[in-house]
Amino acid sequence: MRLLVVEDEHDIRVFLRNSLTEAGFQVDVAADGKGAERLALDAPYDALIVDLGLPDMDGINLILRLRQIGLAAPVLILSARRSVDDRVRGLEQGGDDYLTKPFALAELLARLRNLIKRNAPTANEATRLRMLDLELDLLRREATRAGQVLQLTPQEFVLLEYLCRNAGRVVTRSMILDKVWGMRIQPDTNVVDVHIYRLRGKVDGRGQHPLIKTLRGVGYVLRDR
Amino acid sequence: MSSETAKPGMRSAAWRISLWATLAFACGTMLVFVFLHRFVADDIQRRSDAWLSGEVEVLGDVAEQTPRNALYDRVVGEIAELASKEIPNKLLSETSSNNSVFFLQTSGNGTPILWVGAGTAAPFLRAIQKAGVPENRPADIRVEGFTVPFRVASIRIQDGSLIYLGLSERDELRVLRKLRIRFILLWPLLVLLGFAIVFFTTRRMLNRVQRITEAASHIGHSDLTARVPSSARNDEVGHLSRTLNHMLDRIESSMHQLHTITDSLAHDLRSPLTAIRGKLEMSLSAPTHGEQAEAVVAAIEELDRLTEFLNTSLDVAEGKADALRLSRSDIQLDELLKVMIDLYEPSMSEKDVRVSLRCSAPIRIHADAALIHRMIANLFDNELKHLPAHCTVTLQLESRKGAAWLTLEDDGPGFAPEVIPHMFERRVKGRKSSGHGLGLAFVEAVVRAHGGTVAGSNRESGGAHITLSLPLS
Repeated sequence: MRLLVVEDEHDIRVFLRNSLTEAGFQVDVAADGKGAERLALDAPYDALIVDLGLPDMDGINLILRLRQIGLAAPVLILSARRSVDDRVRGLEQGGDDYLTKPFALAELLARLRNLIKRNAPTANEATRLRMLDLELDLLRREATRAGQVLQLTPQEFVLLEYLCRNAGRVVTRSMILDKVWGMRIQPDTNVVDVHIYRLRGKVDGRGQHPLIKTLRGVGYVLRDR
Repeated sequence: MSSETAKPGMRSAAWRISLWATLAFACGTMLVFVFLHRFVADDIQRRSDAWLSGEVEVLGDVAEQTPRNALYDRVVGEIAELASKEIPNKLLSETSSNNSVFFLQTSGNGTPILWVGAGTAAPFLRAIQKAGVPENRPADIRVEGFTVPFRVASIRIQDGSLIYLGLSERDELRVLRKLRIRFILLWPLLVLLGFAIVFFTTRRMLNRVQRITEAASHIGHSDLTARVPSSARNDEVGHLSRTLNHMLDRIESSMHQLHTITDSLAHDLRSPLTAIRGKLEMSLSAPTHGEQAEAVVAAIEELDRLTEFLNTSLDVAEGKADALRLSRSDIQLDELLKVMIDLYEPSMSEKDVRVSLRCSAPIRIHADAALIHRMIANLFDNELKHLPAHCTVTLQLESRKGAAWLTLEDDGPGFAPEVIPHMFERRVKGRKSSGHGLGLAFVEAVVRAHGGTVAGSNRESGGAHITLSLPLS
């Protein structure tokens, strides 16, 4: 997977290159719009990460220009602005995504993977998800652990499904709030933790191998080790 | 900011201005007519007086020079009748019956010598003696049996007898009456026409003012790009709209200035925060000692809190300046509250706090979803942080008077008394509160930006009570 990162802040550019490379991407970086245009014309990318505030041009204008000259790859827009511009909303409807600074690396990776997956030809949607002895039947909305049906509320099932779909990858609290409850909020109370705690009580109870792990300062992950 | 654009009807300024203007117009025209009438009456009298004086002199000459014989009566009588054919102001429609002019000659002691006219000389002579007609100056007399007075001129001739020539004022009065009738018929039409002209011009003028008022009232908190309609005309109304638009230009530019400041502040702080957060996350993923990792985690959490504080703080600042930018969409408020309760319920029941929602019908608002979400989360966070165990939070949502009303009540300790008067201000918080004191200020900022209201108090039975309204879509 090849990425182009367009970001003028040196520190953020270095952090993005290092962490994305570590996550298994092949990363090119550009510090301004001109450089980005040159690179984007030379090589095919699977996705772009574009900061809105570039020194030589507006990020959105860059994206629109690249689209004009035939760029098909999805774009993850990074914005340090507070309000989401209507033009960003327009791009979002066109299949791109945005993330406000500062962001959690986990969220950046999740959105990036989501964008690339959305752009790729979709394989048949699985109707069952499995992790060790945990199994989710997406059609019957039923979860079983070691053959035992778990008594989950509909909301808990959605939460578990989200964790399962991202199995092995970290999800942050704001990602959970966004995807499960449909809200981009930052509560200063532990609402999400309590939901996870309850879900864990049902999924990992009775001395079973714990699947839902907490990564402090980052978020949660469903994995078997 | 409600815009009352109902038809003003009888209370409108156009109506009142027209009434007063019409009253002044009516009085003015009436006054002009009175003067005109007087002028015409005087003029007619002057003409008939001149005719009488001239004619009586001619007749005097004739009477003097005609010898006193058997033909005297006939000669003078015919001359007198001839004269009466040339009377001024004579109406063509009048029959030739000669009762509008009389000729009378009396001797010095007052006995009639010659009479030419209708009827007998006696009543005329009585009337002349009663009125005491002076020589060479015409005067009015009222004769028995005639409703209309006569104008009489007299002259003394050499033989000492007096010659009177009288002219009925009937024609003169008829002319004046016709004038009056025409005026009385025309006057209401004239006044009505005046009223109509004044009413329609003022209404046209004031409609322009009304359109400006309507446009100005629609220029809301966030939409400052609109302008009131302006015309090229250089009158007061055009001036008003241009002045308003200049004012809006200035407001918009200072609003823009504020946005630039808050945006660049946010941008300048967020970029380093992003870099710091990235570095912290990188160091977390590297194998480190447990204790260090703990510190890094704490730093990341602290940094996220700082970011959220920065966001809320700037939102509140913009909200206080009525400059919060909204990106509106349709929101089903009752559904949103259910989802929010679903999100907060586990944390609440963890603290043994119950939460319930009463809502009878679906309620939709047209609002900024992100801000509304954060605002409601703020209210719930507040409850979660401040309520002790075994309490109940009751939410009630209803639509009333074109707005969605959300009432939030609890049976906890309520607000500290010193906080109540300014609980929606920045950095105001209870002594025991651990928050940053922006929660309710943020709630107020969001509600205000949407054109709603918010109020908070303590219930009589104890516990907090917050009511907020948001305009329905």
